[in-house]
Order: sequence, then structure tokens, then C-alpha cells
Amino acid sequence: MIRFEDVSFHYGGQRGTGEGVDHLNLRVAPGELVVLVGRSGCGKTTVTRLINGLAPHFYEGVVEGAVYVNDVCVTTSDLSKTHALVGSVFQNPKSQFFNVDTTGELAFGCENQALPREEIHARVMQTCEDMKLHALMNRNIFDLSGGEKQQIACGSAYAAQPLVFVLDEPSSNLDRKAIRRLHDMLVRVKDQGRTVVVSEHRIYYLMDVADRIIYMDDGYIVAEYTPDELRALSEDELHSLGLRTPDLEDLRGSSGVTGGKGEVAVSSKPSVEAVDLSCYRGGNQIIDIERLALPENSVIALIGDNGCGKSTLSEALCGVVPSNGSVAFDGEFFSNKQRSHRSFMVMQDVNRQLFSETVLEEVMLNSDISEADARAILEQLDLGDTVNRHPASLSGGQKQRVAIASALCAGKDIVFYDEPTSGLDRAGMERFAALLKSMRDRVKTQVIVTHDPELIMQSCTHALRMDNGRVTGLYPLDEDGRQRVLYYFTSEDDGSTSRRRTRVTPLGKILSYTGRFKRTTVAAAAFMTLGAIFQVLPFLIVYWLISRALAGSPPTVQEAALPLVGILVCLVLYAILYIYGLQLSHRSAFGTLENLRCSLQEKLEVQPLGSVADMGTGALKKLFVDDVESIELLLAHMIPEGIANIAVPTVVMLIMMAVDWRLALLTLIMIAFGVSASGQMYGVGTKFMGSYFAATKRLNNTIIEYVNGMDVVRMFNRDSESLTKFEQAVHGYRDFALAWYKVCWPWMAVYGSIFFTCTLFTLPFGAFLVLLGQLELQNYVLCLCLSFGIGPLLVNVMQFASAIPQVNMKIQTLEKSLDRLPLRVSENDYTGTSHTVEFSDVHFGYGNDEVLKGVSFTAEEGQMTALVGPSGSGKSTIAKCLTHYYDVESGTICLGGQNICDMSLEALYSQLSYVSQEQFLFNKSILENIRVGKPEARDEEVFAAARAAQCDEFVLSLPDAYHTQAGAAGGMLSGGQRQRIAFARALLKDAPVLVLDEATAHIDPENAEKMNAAVAELTRNKTLVVIAHRLSSIVNADKIVVLDGGRVVDEGRHDELLARCAIYRTLWTSSEQVDSWALNSDPVAVSDVAVSECGASC
Amino acid sequence: MNFELYGDDSTGVIKLDPRTKMVIFLSCAITSINMYNDQYMAGYIAVLCLILALCGKRIMALKAFAAFAVLFFLRYCIQMQGTGTGVAISLVSVLLTVFIFMFPMVVSLLLLIQTTRIGQFLAAFQAMHLPAAAVIPVAVLFRFIPTVADERAGINKAMAFRGIEMTMGNVVRHPAQSIEHLLVPLLFSSVDVMEELAAASEARGLSTNLVRTSYEEVRLRPLDYVVMAAFIAFAVYMLTFSVTGLTG
Repeated sequence: MIRFEDVSFHYGGQRGTGEGVDHLNLRVAPGELVVLVGRSGCGKTTVTRLINGLAPHFYEGVVEGAVYVNDVCVTTSDLSKTHALVGSVFQNPKSQFFNVDTTGELAFGCENQALPREEIHARVMQTCEDMKLHALMNRNIFDLSGGEKQQIACGSAYAAQPLVFVLDEPSSNLDRKAIRRLHDMLVRVKDQGRTVVVSEHRIYYLMDVADRIIYMDDGYIVAEYTPDELRALSEDELHSLGLRTPDLEDLRGSSGVTGGKGEVAVSSKPSVEAVDLSCYRGGNQIIDIERLALPENSVIALIGDNGCGKSTLSEALCGVVPSNGSVAFDGEFFSNKQRSHRSFMVMQDVNRQLFSETVLEEVMLNSDISEADARAILEQLDLGDTVNRHPASLSGGQKQRVAIASALCAGKDIVFYDEPTSGLDRAGMERFAALLKSMRDRVKTQVIVTHDPELIMQSCTHALRMDNGRVTGLYPLDEDGRQRVLYYFTSEDDGSTSRRRTRVTPLGKILSYTGRFKRTTVAAAAFMTLGAIFQVLPFLIVYWLISRALAGSPPTVQEAALPLVGILVCLVLYAILYIYGLQLSHRSAFGTLENLRCSLQEKLEVQPLGSVADMGTGALKKLFVDDVESIELLLAHMIPEGIANIAVPTVVMLIMMAVDWRLALLTLIMIAFGVSASGQMYGVGTKFMGSYFAATKRLNNTIIEYVNGMDVVRMFNRDSESLTKFEQAVHGYRDFALAWYKVCWPWMAVYGSIFFTCTLFTLPFGAFLVLLGQLELQNYVLCLCLSFGIGPLLVNVMQFASAIPQVNMKIQTLEKSLDRLPLRVSENDYTGTSHTVEFSDVHFGYGNDEVLKGVSFTAEEGQMTALVGPSGSGKSTIAKCLTHYYDVESGTICLGGQNICDMSLEALYSQLSYVSQEQFLFNKSILENIRVGKPEARDEEVFAAARAAQCDEFVLSLPDAYHTQAGAAGGMLSGGQRQRIAFARALLKDAPVLVLDEATAHIDPENAEKMNAAVAELTRNKTLVVIAHRLSSIVNADKIVVLDGGRVVDEGRHDELLARCAIYRTLWTSSEQVDSWALNSDPVAVSDVAVSECGASC
Repeated sequence: MNFELYGDDSTGVIKLDPRTKMVIFLSCAITSINMYNDQYMAGYIAVLCLILALCGKRIMALKAFAAFAVLFFLRYCIQMQGTGTGVAISLVSVLLTVFIFMFPMVVSLLLLIQTTRIGQFLAAFQAMHLPAAAVIPVAVLFRFIPTVADERAGINKAMAFRGIEMTMGNVVRHPAQSIEHLLVPLLFSSVDVMEELAAASEARGLSTNLVRTSYEEVRLRPLDYVVMAAFIAFAVYMLTFSVTGLTG
């Protein structure tokens, strides 16, 4: 398929860098995948260019020998022939697309092959499907992130379906999932019998698809390996060849940065802190961070999938993109501009940040460092012999170091790097890692946005994981942390995380929620406009009266009567129309709120139950009630009144023009001044507004917490602590609110006075014109009257104008607060063959802590499987994952062989009941509360279930027995009683799988015994998963799974475990002690509380 | 006005062929410099705005027409009143007249750019059998404008880190230096991008000898012929009358 016959090539023209290649002989068969590896400058890229014909047809040079692709000699035939045979993907994502829209770009290669349109459409659709590009279709390429652009480039080559694919470092900007998709694409094209040549530094992802790996050095093919041979090479051999690791698992063993001798210790003091940071772009909230603190002397790897907001976060922290919230460096809060002067970012495209003629000038630009010091810094960075060269003449790595040197010379403390090692070979990457380490004592914090696990393992102290604009974890790279990072990079997930973002204007966003009330809004605006016209009309009537008087014939009382009545009618009409308009606008506003709440509810519905619970009832209540409500007032008045208030002054200005254009223009200029003043206010106002809202939110949350936790606070005498927090929130709110008003008030005053006194300027000028005889007196009076009329309207307009961003921001925040990934479910019914529960390699974590670290076990049908382990070992988390409260990060949970993500929640819950530690009862009768388990159950069935769950005795002692109201959230009942009712519910539901999470924790031992017996009876032939602290209740379990630190330590029966598992023995002993203590004490004194406290303490 | 180059005609009621839009643009250029009749002008612009609205840019069309109406009205008022000193009147009227005469061209240019994707342009050019040497530079130009904007945004950020950002103060104090700091990286970076882009497009077959096909369907429909004929006819009518001096 590809044949190199003694090919040598050396660049001769103006274009192209590198030394060229010599005497290459290479044959690549159809369906073969060959990887070219080697140090930077070894000639890999030249080989790819020889295949796609760019050398010698674009990059001129001297060529000897010939390259054949499918019997076409690409060295001699024209590029216009080669392109149909060879599809290329290049390294730099930003310079390889020709179109501005993504769909056009995907079709580009096909178009050049002159395929019929239907075929192109089909291929574009197919590519979109195969490469999961749905979210990227029909978008402006300039809105995409680097990794997303690269995906489009791969897709475009794929759509063209060439015989040979040539990829030059395609993975440099891709996230792990996109690399996975690239890998899958390569597998697919290989299976289709196409030939692939990949030049790459990062080779780990190619190991299972590559047939041969060709090692090049200095323009020659030096060696050839199979993947197995390459994997067999030792670390030292790889190092001497300058190759990166072929297997990420190898990194597991390598030692970390922390803990090394002579290292700068990471202090716990934060050097960068962000509170309530949010970032908006094009009508969407991109970043939503409540609190983030980056420790001092750390090197932080910022990882996350393409388009999750990594770059935006780093730019927001640096202050080069507008953001809301507060960011502190070293405990001191700074404005955006101050931050940009105190921090530095080494950009991916370093050409953008080299400004001067020589390297020395470059690093000294705008810094007050002495030349000697600057030279010293350059020397340290290996740039000593380049001081007088032009930065543009340096190599990529050198340019990067010049940029770093300029940051050091300017004394910057916080340095960000954007993908610093994309396209670097091993030596370059290692040099950079060493540089990062050596910088640790000179700069406070370094943050690296990267997709390069090798770099992270070599140089970083912390990992900061982002997901969809949120920080989902900041953890040190100790043993666990390293595992977690590696796990992130090796998990085989190929989903696309790109999100479709549409640009909408603030007003458009608000209107999009009005839905069917759009008409009402329009009608309201129409009525109000009409009303406002009647508001102005009296001025015209007054003008008529005055002009009569001025003309020397003052109207008589009879003549004046009609106009005066007219004025009255106008005013009445104004009032009526205005009120009616207001009524309509309120109707539409409340309708909009309804739509908003419904849309929020829809979003809440698909959220994992667990994340809903994590958000807290307080926050959700605030979201649904307060936040939405606060929009109403603005919405009801803003749009219709705003339109009315703009329409009328416009009409008035036109009338004034018709009367006298000079006065009109003069007034217009004054209005322009006023508008610009309010524009200023609008500008500074929005800048502070985010912080103001953040402070409001903090205040709200603190108050809720303060009130909710009051009992605990008082009981433990923590009054002062909680009070301080409360005070802080109150003070913060006051300060931000004052800051906001402080910047807004001067401008408010300016525009307010200008609008009210726009007559002030027309008055003297008009009088002057009248004196000159250029303006008739009555026209002058009319203009004055009109100016008086529009002043207040304009003030209103300005107020509404400032309200638009407020509402918009609130809506965006609402949208963002519920845009976490929805629960992965499908529409499928339960099709499992049995009711065996199977966990395989399940990973799951809440925020910074990974709770389940690869849990695998099976709970057989008809058996009782118990999960035991010390507190925090992940028992309850397993139950929550099984009941699909959360989506697991990776691994699978199957029920009867069917993945629980592959069935609907209804299907899952029809097979499964769950009794948890905390139970919620509705404020209905106990009978109805139990019936929730099976709504169609007859009363007798309910009673039977209740009896089995030992409810009978306490329920019958209640005043109305089973018809007693349970009180709000079951407040009338004790914990143990609630638990028994919940148990009855589960029994009534009679699902084949039963999950009991500490189901007997609140129940006193005596009843627990009875209940266990009942459980055993009722759960025969069912899959029973029990989580228990009191091991006595599970000694008879068919299988006991012992968990510790998120891993399965051992599993077996009670006796086996007692014999061989130390952890189990310890658990057993302590549980025995508690049980004996509980039984020995006075049975009357054993209250639910005491037992549950025991349970919690073991 | 924002000349964003990502054309979008998805919301349009009618879809005109890019060639039709080009004809409209050319006809506007000819017509507006030969048209001295206010009523004709008003009608002409109204039709243009109507087409713009029908092609999907309703709000833009409305804004453009409102702006035109106000300027037109102001000029009319000035002419009618005849007050004010000579200098002021002539200054304002000349400005207004220039604006008004440029209006058809601006509106038709908006129509052309904002509702046409690059793929459609290329397809249209191809359908016109223009040589590749004429087509590609136009496409590259469209691609280049957002590239420069993108680079500029990046450079601005880099300048902020170095404390040499393009603020009013800096530009006034050191104008030459500020421009240098902007242009040097812009040129280096753009040259790199353009070279790589050229290589990529060559490798992907832009210079093919085949007749390129297109993802975008570009076809002249009856409506296109009607619109084109109307605009050409009007341009010819205006041209003849202006040349023969029958109006004025």
C-alpha cells in the first residue's frame, strides 16, 4: 500500500523546518497500522509529509527515490491526485480547518473528491454518529476548544474515507475520552482494510492497535518493534531512546513528587483562593465554583475533559476574562486587572506572547529587573546563549522558556501553563517537568492545564479535577491520588462531553422562557405604549393653548373647555391603559415564572437522586421559590414598560424634529450623554453585580444553616463560632451591596439629572434662536413642553436597561445550578434473566474523596449478602449506587445481567426495594404511608406487612391506630418506629431484590430479633443485600463481603472470615461488646437513641 | 455592526442563492449612486430590508430600516424647515446624504455575508465556473478575518500579563510601541497559521482538478430569477435615467 524506495529528502525551500530524512525503505501493507516514534526533529513529520505529498510539493526540497501509495508515485504526481488516496490530520488544531462552520469542515474532504451531494450528506451523518460529534455540528469553529477542533479534523479525514490515513500527533490536544474515540476510529478504519501511519509521542493509546512501531533517529529508520517488544523494553532503555511510556500502568509504580528528599514542602496555606467564582459567556454560565483554594508551593495539574472550562477557569483566576465572585492571591482580594499583573500564563501558542526583538529585551520588557539579574535568570533556564537572538528564531521549547523567564523577571508568583507539553518528546517533557520542580521555591503556585499523565506523574503535587464548569476534586498526588489520576486517564469511556452552547442575547434568553405568554407580553407592551402616548398628549394640548395665547388671541373659557376636558380624558385613558397593560404584563410574568419552574423541575427530574439530596432542601427551596420569585417583579415591569418608555420618547423626538431639527439634535446630544452615563453605570454595575449576588447567596445559605443547626450549636456551646460565620456573611453582604451602590450612584445621579434637565440646554439655545428670529416662539414652547414630557420616561428606560442583565444573570444561574449530568438511564424495561446483583470494578467518589475504588462482588439470587466494614468504608455508598441514587464513575452494576444504566428507573425500582437509615414519611395516615410501597394493595395486605415488620404493637397503641396521621415528615414517630414503617412498605412492595441499609439501626434489640426472623421468612428466594453494624444479625448470611477503604478486602461466610480476616475479627469483637453491653443494661432504659448511638460509634 | 462571518440562514422564510445575493449587492452599488429620487430610495431600501428579514435576519432588518427612516426623516425636516445657518445645514445634510446613499450597499452586504456560509459561497462560485484562483482567495479571506480576531484576543491577554495592554492611556502615551506590541506577535502568529493552513488545504485536496461538489445545495430557483431580474432591471432603469438626465 505504501512503499518507500530508498527515499531521501532535505528541505530546500523557505518553508519547513527539520533536517529531512535519509535512505528510507519502508513498506506498509493494507490494513496495517504503523506508528512512527522518535525524538523531536528525528524526521517523523517529514515521513508523514512524504506520504501525503506535501513534501516535496508544498515543502520544497531535494528528493531522491520515490514514495508510492497504491502504485501512485506521490513524489512525482500532483497533490491534486494524492489527496483522494491519503487523508491527513495535522498537529495544530487551529490551522487545519478551512471552513468557519463545523459541518462544512467535515464535508470539505468529500467535496474535494467530487462526491455526489447525497453521498457527502450520508458520510457526514455517519462520521457524526461514529465519532460522537453531535454536540459540535453546525457550529462556528472559532467557538470550539482546541480539543474539539482536533476532533473535527479527525472527523473530516474520516469522512473522506481515504485508503491511507496519515496522522501527525493527533492526540496532542485531546482529552482521554476523545483519545479513546480516536483509538476506536483507528480500529475501525484498520478493520476496513485501510492503512494508517501515525506519528506520535504519546504512544500508550496505540499499543493495542499498532502492528509495528518504527523508531527513527536523525532522519534514519533505526529500529522496528512490535508493540510487545516495545512494552518489554525497560524504563532505562525507553529513556535512552527518548520514548514515552507505552503503558500508563507503568506510571503506577513510579515514585511521586511529594515525599522526595529535599523537596519544598507544600504548605497548607492557600495562595490562590476563589469564592463564588462564576463566568458567563454568550448567555451561558461556564464556570460555577463555590470555593477553591490552591495551596502554596504546589504544582497543580488541572485535568478534565475537553470543553469543561479548564482554560476559562485559569483565565478567570488570572483576571484576563471577566468573571464574578472574588479571587484572592495570598489572602488579599484583587480586581481582574490587578490579578493579571500579578500572575502569568504560558500560552499554548507561545508566539502570541513574544513581543520584542531580542530575548533579553523580551524578558526585561516592562519590568524593573536589572540586566545582570535578567541574564542570570536566562542562564538558569538554559537560554544563556540566546540572549541576543530574535525570539521568533528559537525552537518551540526555547520560546516557552523565554516566556517563563519573562514571568520570573517580572516577579510573578502565580504561573499558569496551558498544555505546555503538547507535541513535546520525552526529553522535552522531562526537561519541562524538571523546570517545574525547580520553580517551586521561586513561585508560589503553578497550575498546569494538561492532558498529559506522564507530566503530571513527574512534576505535580496536586490534581484539580474539573467537570462541566465545576471543581469535582482537589487532591494531593500521594499514593491514592496518583492512582486516581491514572485511573482517570485509563478508564475506557468514550462519551463526548462537549456541550452545545448557543449564543443568545440577554433579552432573547428571557423571552425564550415566556413561551405562550409572548403574545400577552406583546399586548401588554402595546397597551402601555398607548398609555404613554396619552401621557404625552396633554403637553401638546397645553402647547395649543399657549400658542393661542402667544399669537395674541387667548382662547375663551368656552374654547378652552374642550382642550381641558381633553387633558382630563387623556389622563384617565393613560391610567386605564397603563393599569390594564400592567395587569397583562403581570399575567405574562407569572406565566413565565411558571415556565421557568417547570423547566427547572424537568431538569431536577433527571438529576441523580443523590445530587438532589446533596444540594440540600434549603438550596432547592431557595432556587424554586425565592430565586424564581425575585425575577417576577423585574419581568412584569421591565419588558412591557421598557418598550413603552422607549417608544414614546422616540415619537416625541420625531415630532420635535418636525418642529425644529436644531433643538431636536441638541436634545438628542444631551440624551446621548445621559445614555452613555448610564452605560457606564451598567458596565461597572454588572462587574460588581456577580459579587453582590454571590454575597446574597452566601447570606441566604448561612441563615438557613444557622437556623437549622441552632439546636446543635446551642447544645455544644458553639454559639460564638456560628455567630462569627453569620456575622461574616452579613458583613460581606453589606460590603458588596455598598460597593455596588457606591459605583452605581454617581452615574445614577448624572443620568438622572441630565434626563430631568434636558430642557436646561434647549432652553437657552432655543431662546437665543428666538431672539435671532430664527425660531418661532410657539415652536420653542412646544419643544420645551415635549422635553418636559419625556424626561421621566427616559429615566425609567435606564432603570429597566440595568434590570435586563440582572434577570438574565439570575436565569443563567438557575440554569447552571441544575445542569449537572443527568442520570444515565434508558427507556428499556427490565430484561434481566435472574436477580443476581453484580458489581464489577466500580469506582465512585463524592468530590475530593474517592469512596469506592474498584469494588467487585456478586450477590446471588435467593441469598443474603452482607456488607460489613468500618465506618467510611463505603457500605452505604454501595447501597446508593445499587439503587441508582448516583451514577458510578466507571465500572458496571448489573441486575440479572442487565446494566442498571440500561434500564429505566421505573424498571429498576420495580425489581428493587431499599430501606435506608433515614426514612421519610408523608403527612398522611400510617396506613397510607405503608401503602406507598404498593398503591393497589388492599388494607388486609397492608396490615399483614405491618405485622411482619413489628409495627402492630406501637401502631395499635396510637390514638387512631393505623389511621393516625404521621405528622410532617413523620415527626410524630420515633426513629425506630419510622424505620419499621419503612420496612413494612418494602415488605408490601415485595420486590425480588431488597437492600437494607442499617435497617435495624434505630430498632431496639428485642424487636430487631423478631424482625430479623420476619425478614428471613419474607426474603426467602430473594436477593437480599444487608448493610449492618451489628454483626450478630448477619452471622447466618450466605456471603459476607468485608470492605475497607473503598475496596473489597475479603468475602466468605462468617466462620471462614473469622478464621482468616483480621478486619472482620476486629469488627466482630467490637460488635459483640456493644451487643452484650446493650443486653446487660436495663431493657427499659434502652431507648432508640442509645442504640442508634452505639451503632454509630462502632 | 457585527460582521460575524458564521452565516446562518436557518431561520429564513425564503432561501436565496448566494449568486442572487451577489447580484443584489452589485445592483445596489450601481443603483444607489445613480438614484436621486427620495421616494425611489425609500422604496428600494424597504424592499432590501424586507428581503433581509425574509432571509432570517428579522431584527437586523428592522433595526436597519428604523435607522434609515430616522435619518431620512431628519433630512426631510431640515429641507422643509430651511432654518439655521448655511454651514450647519450643508454639513448635516451632506453627512445625512452620504449615509443614506451608502445604506443599500450596507444592507445588501449584510444580506450577503450574514446569511451565507463559506461552503455556500464556494459552491456558488463553482456554479459560476469561476477559476479556483479566484475562488480560493475569497474563501481564505473569510477564514482569515476570524483568525486575526482570535489571535488578537489571545495577544490582548498576553499583553495584560505583561502590563502592556492596549488601554487608552498606553496607546496615547506610546502609540508606536503599543502598535508594535500588537503587530509583532500578530504577524508571526498569523504567518504560521496561514502557512500551515495552506499546507493542510493542499493536502486535503483544495487544488483538485476535479469539479468540486458541495455539501450545501446551491441552486437557482424561480424566485432567484425573479429577484435577480427585478434588481437588474431596476439598476438598468436607474442607470439609463441618470445618464440621460431625466431625473435629478
